Amino acid sequence: MVHTTNNKRSCQSGERVVLRLFTALVLCSLTASAQSTIHRADGNAALNIRATHLLGFEGAKNNSNGTLSLQDGSLQFQRNGKPGAQVKVGSVRDVILGEESRQVGGLPMTLGKAAIPYSGGRVVSLVAHKKYDTLTLQYVDDDGAVHGAIFQLHKGEAGVVKAALTAQSMSVGSRQGEATKDSSGEVSYENK
Amino acid sequence: MKTSKYSLLTACVTTILAIVVVLPVRAATVKPSAATHWSLQVHQVDSGNVDLAYSFQIAIYENLVEEVNKTRRFQQVFRDGDHGVSEVPNLLVLKTTVEQYTPGSETRRAVTTVTGATKLTVRSALLTRDGRVVVERTVHGDVHFFGSNLRATHNLARNIAKAIKKTPLPDSATSTALAANKVEP
Repeated sequence: MVHTTNNKRSCQSGERVVLRLFTALVLCSLTASAQSTIHRADGNAALNIRATHLLGFEGAKNNSNGTLSLQDGSLQFQRNGKPGAQVKVGSVRDVILGEESRQVGGLPMTLGKAAIPYSGGRVVSLVAHKKYDTLTLQYVDDDGAVHGAIFQLHKGEAGVVKAALTAQSMSVGSRQGEATKDSSGEVSYENK
Repeated sequence: MKTSKYSLLTACVTTILAIVVVLPVRAATVKPSAATHWSLQVHQVDSGNVDLAYSFQIAIYENLVEEVNKTRRFQQVFRDGDHGVSEVPNLLVLKTTVEQYTPGSETRRAVTTVTGATKLTVRSALLTRDGRVVVERTVHGDVHFFGSNLRATHNLARNIAKAIKKTPLPDSATSTALAANKVEP
């Protein structure tokens, strides 16, 4: 009898430890995402923002974290500070903002949730989700071929990138206009 | 008598070996050569009357380019708007029109398992440059359990690429003849 109560207690304490661990994991993932910073140097000239490249950006790996920067008339995605893929702002044809809710923690979290007894993982799933902004770009390369790229940013940051892109494209457009006397801009910035 | 038996056995073994070794090599070399005449241009996704998020359209397009490239069925895979297409003699065009879209939720999938699926249905058409339809079919792409909503676009593109891989492509000579006939008055 004593043995069974001891077993029950140890089992309960084990479950508590698992639950605490997952609560900590959820909190960590939520706070880590809040550490993203927006650095602006020289006013509107440069922009660095933490982003996740979901797909499409030429030369960048899918689902990779990095920094989306905008300077000297080009949009660049860098991983670990290494020089990465870049696209001229002038070749960007469309910028569309979106919003998506995703589960946090990725595959480790999914496996962890599956390991929680009594379907406790489902309860964790209820709170372990977060809203993100998506930034969808459409741009053309030198051959005129259409490319698309999707980035995932923290809430509210996609608008900042869009504003910076608009500012840069306007300045690039005006510079081109001075050179070619052609003021027709084909860049459209939508907000869907 | 013994020597004749041995020679017969040797001949049989040699024949079997020849069949086993040479035939698969021939099959492997003949099959792709018929298909590699063609290049493909992937057009942008037409959302039709469906209210589909722009990110989904772009994701389908990008995944299609990637998955079709992976099939190695075509000599070159071009994107929409590529100027290099004009110099390619045998070109097929892949057009995709969205027919149905059911938005899902990753959280609902994680919590309930059975609901919250994201579903996409498209009409995929492979056409020759002169507008002749090579193949047209309805393809589905869903995400039911794990993964984000955009994963449906990846699954869809993979299914389209699989369907293209199975499709017998037309003889390039007949197509060029058709094109020539069209040009001439």
